[in-house]
Amino acid sequence: MCLSAFLLLLFASPFEPEAGICSPEYYQIDLIPTKRVPEARRAVGIASVAFASSPFGIAISSEGHYIYTVTIRIDNLSDSPEGRYVAWLSTPSLDSILRLGPLSAARTARGQVDWNKFLVIISLEPDEEPLGPRWQGPVVLRGMSRSGFMHTMAGHGPFQQEPCATFGYY
Amino acid sequence: MRRLLLVSAIFLLAGPPALAQHEHHHATPPLEDDSLQWRMPPMDRNMPMMPGLEGALPPVRPFLAGQDQTASDWPEARPRMVVPLADGDTLHLQATPVRRSLKGRPFLMYGYNGQYPGPLLQVERGATVLVHFTNNIELPSSVHWHGLRLDNRFDGVPGLTQAPVHRGESFTYSVYFPDAGIYWYHPHMREDIQQDLGLYGNILVDPAAADYYNPVNREEVLILDDILMDEHGLIPWGEDAPTHALMGRFGNVMLANGMTNYQLSVRRGDVVRFYLTNVANSRTFNVVFGDAPVKIIAGDVSKFEREAFVRSVPIAPAERYIVEVQFNTSGQTAITNTIQAINHFRGEFYPHVDTLGLVTVTDAAAAPDYADTFNALRRNADVSADIDAYRAYFDKPVDKELTLTLRVRNLPVAIMMSMEVDTLYVPPMEWNDAMPMMNWLSTGTQVTWVLREPSTGKENMDIHWDFEKGSVVKIRVFNDPRSFHPMNHPFHIHGQRFLVLSLDGAKNPNLVWKDTAVVPVGSTMDLLVDMSNPGDWMAHCHIAEHLHAGMMLHFSVHGEGLPQ
Repeated sequence: MCLSAFLLLLFASPFEPEAGICSPEYYQIDLIPTKRVPEARRAVGIASVAFASSPFGIAISSEGHYIYTVTIRIDNLSDSPEGRYVAWLSTPSLDSILRLGPLSAARTARGQVDWNKFLVIISLEPDEEPLGPRWQGPVVLRGMSRSGFMHTMAGHGPFQQEPCATFGYY
Repeated sequence: MRRLLLVSAIFLLAGPPALAQHEHHHATPPLEDDSLQWRMPPMDRNMPMMPGLEGALPPVRPFLAGQDQTASDWPEARPRMVVPLADGDTLHLQATPVRRSLKGRPFLMYGYNGQYPGPLLQVERGATVLVHFTNNIELPSSVHWHGLRLDNRFDGVPGLTQAPVHRGESFTYSVYFPDAGIYWYHPHMREDIQQDLGLYGNILVDPAAADYYNPVNREEVLILDDILMDEHGLIPWGEDAPTHALMGRFGNVMLANGMTNYQLSVRRGDVVRFYLTNVANSRTFNVVFGDAPVKIIAGDVSKFEREAFVRSVPIAPAERYIVEVQFNTSGQTAITNTIQAINHFRGEFYPHVDTLGLVTVTDAAAAPDYADTFNALRRNADVSADIDAYRAYFDKPVDKELTLTLRVRNLPVAIMMSMEVDTLYVPPMEWNDAMPMMNWLSTGTQVTWVLREPSTGKENMDIHWDFEKGSVVKIRVFNDPRSFHPMNHPFHIHGQRFLVLSLDGAKNPNLVWKDTAVVPVGSTMDLLVDMSNPGDWMAHCHIAEHLHAGMMLHFSVHGEGLPQ
């Protein structure tokens, strides 16, 4: 069941693939609004991932992680009287969080990441307060790296008897 | 919707749940060592057996070296020798059966001149030598001089530039070395077998200028490889067609210069220049020298425009990189292949480290001390000046386009279904064999890897391009992530050199001449090819099993004269 849900999410892209060459469209991350902020209910966004600059073309860390430049672009996002929009990256377990900073006037942000799987978070943070190491305000949009969709085969089809929970999935 | 239906079909068609899924791991009947029987390659015991594949075997005959000979007659292989060659010299090179010892066990393998790796040929740039090759192994063979812009007649490609060299036959190559750097030679027939069994060697082409490279305390020529074995010996290869046609044959034992215990001793502060070559069938290594600082100097066919410090060296099959490493800390430093492997069954990444060798750093201080030179990053004006002549072509329209994809037929249903599910995420690079049994069962009779030219619809060897000598050609290569099983491909062009202009539209800020470049899944790579060398040439994926599963094309460069 959870596998089908993942598949549905996967093909719910609000963006058409970009024309020409750009970051690989296959790995682009759709950013989905949470509907928690009125000004963001119609917002759609995308986070493009591209290899960071490297003499080898592919950019790999000494631990073997891909090093990506993540470029975030949001459309249909109105200003909010409650604060400013801030971009974050996080591991799926939220144990490591990287603040990319406030979205630009053009609703973009950019940063670098070398995690296997990661979340992209746009939150609404109060204007008057300094930004902390993690978001405090409501999450406005969120998305998951394509690698995050990789899911255990346990509990499904040929492996129905293997308990999904054994592998950390529910 | 098609995928949803297919997933649903898997749920319905998969049949009764598997019982004792791990049983097969232990069900291999007792075998004599090096028995010519199919047996499943080793796989992670945490990975359950795919139901429906119990007892399945590749639909080709198994092959091991030396089945028609008496093993005791084979000579014991010895380590590589350095063979200096001057312009006009002649080398006698024989492909022979050898006995090898790996991890304390004997194996029947191949070697050039009875050595592992083959002899290291050391020549000066601009030299030409004759290589009189004799084939003494049971398979027809040839010698391809990888990366060299040599006379087309001696490129070593049976069916295109020469006839196969059968056992007992000879062929004489005139080998020209127009570019400084590290190159290699290997068979261009069933290299999935012959190269894997040890038929490979390096060529170190010395530059004319004494200060072409930085001063260093020592140089090491290091060939990286892997080989697939279990407790009974080497896992057989496919005789009629390669096994492991989907992902290529990943080994489970790492080899550095043909050894499992490569060691090097240096002094504290020594700067070592490593000439790295990846000769593995399929594995891309991510080479890490512990915490030692690493400086990238050169790629396949030239130095980089600018030196740069790097933390690791990702090197795909057939690529070469020249790096300098300073060992500042006494003790042992492991040279490792450090990756984030994938377990598709678990849907997880996991860190994996293979030790490729050990460097012992003594307390004695380096002499001379090259720290200052090492810490400075050179700009190579000679490289930039060479490239300057091509910059006017950087923004030219694309001349040729290729899409990388594949077709499969008659694969077991369980494999087809599992692979469809697996398309939830395809990594840009396959660092490990994440599906060993499915990969093993897929052969060149069932899998066709495809270079497709979108403008004509032509594929693989139906593609034939014509160019004039001196033309500069932009080729755009797109690795289609929507294909049935996308994978990274190290794309190799024979007889020419090229620049990687961009990856996914991002311009390459530090150029280097290459002959092989890895195209990650989903990526688009623009190559600018200097068509400097006349003749009939191939371009292909350098994963050995992909090449034999069709992933190659040919092109002609019309004109006269070798590159100078």
